[in-house]
Amino acid sequence: MELARVKQLLDAYFEGATTLQEEATLRSYFSGSQVAPELQQYQPLFTGIVAVQKEKSTRLLHLPEEKKTISRWWIGAVASMVLAAGIFGLLNQEPSLTTEEKEALAAFEKTREAFKMLSQNFNEGAEELVYIHNFKETKNKILK
Amino acid sequence: MSKVTVEGRKINMKQGEFLDTVLPFKDKLYRLARRILVSVDEAEDAVQEVYLKLWKNKSSIKNYKNPEAFAMTMTKNYCLDRLKSKQAGNLKIVHSNYPHSQNVAREVEANDGVALVFKLMENLPEQQKLVLQLRDVEQFEYAEIAKMLDSNETAVRVALSRARKTVREQLIQYNNYGIS
Repeated sequence: MELARVKQLLDAYFEGATTLQEEATLRSYFSGSQVAPELQQYQPLFTGIVAVQKEKSTRLLHLPEEKKTISRWWIGAVASMVLAAGIFGLLNQEPSLTTEEKEALAAFEKTREAFKMLSQNFNEGAEELVYIHNFKETKNKILK
Repeated sequence: MSKVTVEGRKINMKQGEFLDTVLPFKDKLYRLARRILVSVDEAEDAVQEVYLKLWKNKSSIKNYKNPEAFAMTMTKNYCLDRLKSKQAGNLKIVHSNYPHSQNVAREVEANDGVALVFKLMENLPEQQKLVLQLRDVEQFEYAEIAKMLDSNETAVRVALSRARKTVREQLIQYNNYGIS
């Protein structure tokens, strides 16, 4: 590249008046091996910038696991569904009894039947008591 | 959910989509953070923080015209805040982190003026440093830089001109007198 052109670009560069393309031209000129001796003092500036451009981050990024929040939500949903199903089941379930309870129930039924029978017989007995009344009437007739 | 591996980790598609958008400019964010915070470790921490913030707002990232410029602005703000809180806390600011920058330093050893440019940039006033970083290193347009720095194009050009001239003068001074 013409020396005059490079000087012109350099002047513009220091005035903040170059385009990105012109700046790239300057960088490539100063990165080359044919830099005019009088411009060599500027070389470190441009090669330095090129070196800075090469700097890279070496640490890996850590992002929070998104899965966790999803599964938490999911577990919550499943848990509430199970709970709802459980309550619904409890409310509609036929009472299932243990053998002991069944025996107790059977015993209760039998006792009740026995009491019923007793009370029936007792009532029959009570009906017979009507004759006592007859006996009273007859007695009154005689003992007037 | 299908999984892909990015940055050495198994991730699901949602993360993959997100990273496709934001990962290409990770190094740019890092370099900007490094310019402001100087320390390699702090710059890496800042990048991680900025990505966490972006990740939390991933649903809105598609609404931004330019996610890169958005992330750069976010990084700049975060790092300047960090710097302020450090200064407020009267903590020592490590200006040169030589043990960490050795890999870069070694790479550029062939040209000893390069390390100098690195250092000269560090010593620039904040705004000039940012403008030089965003323009000469990352090659953003003046309009984009103005937006990122909440400024205008004229102010950006003025700051840029000053930054370039300062670096030039200090380079000449160094060459003439050998002052570092």
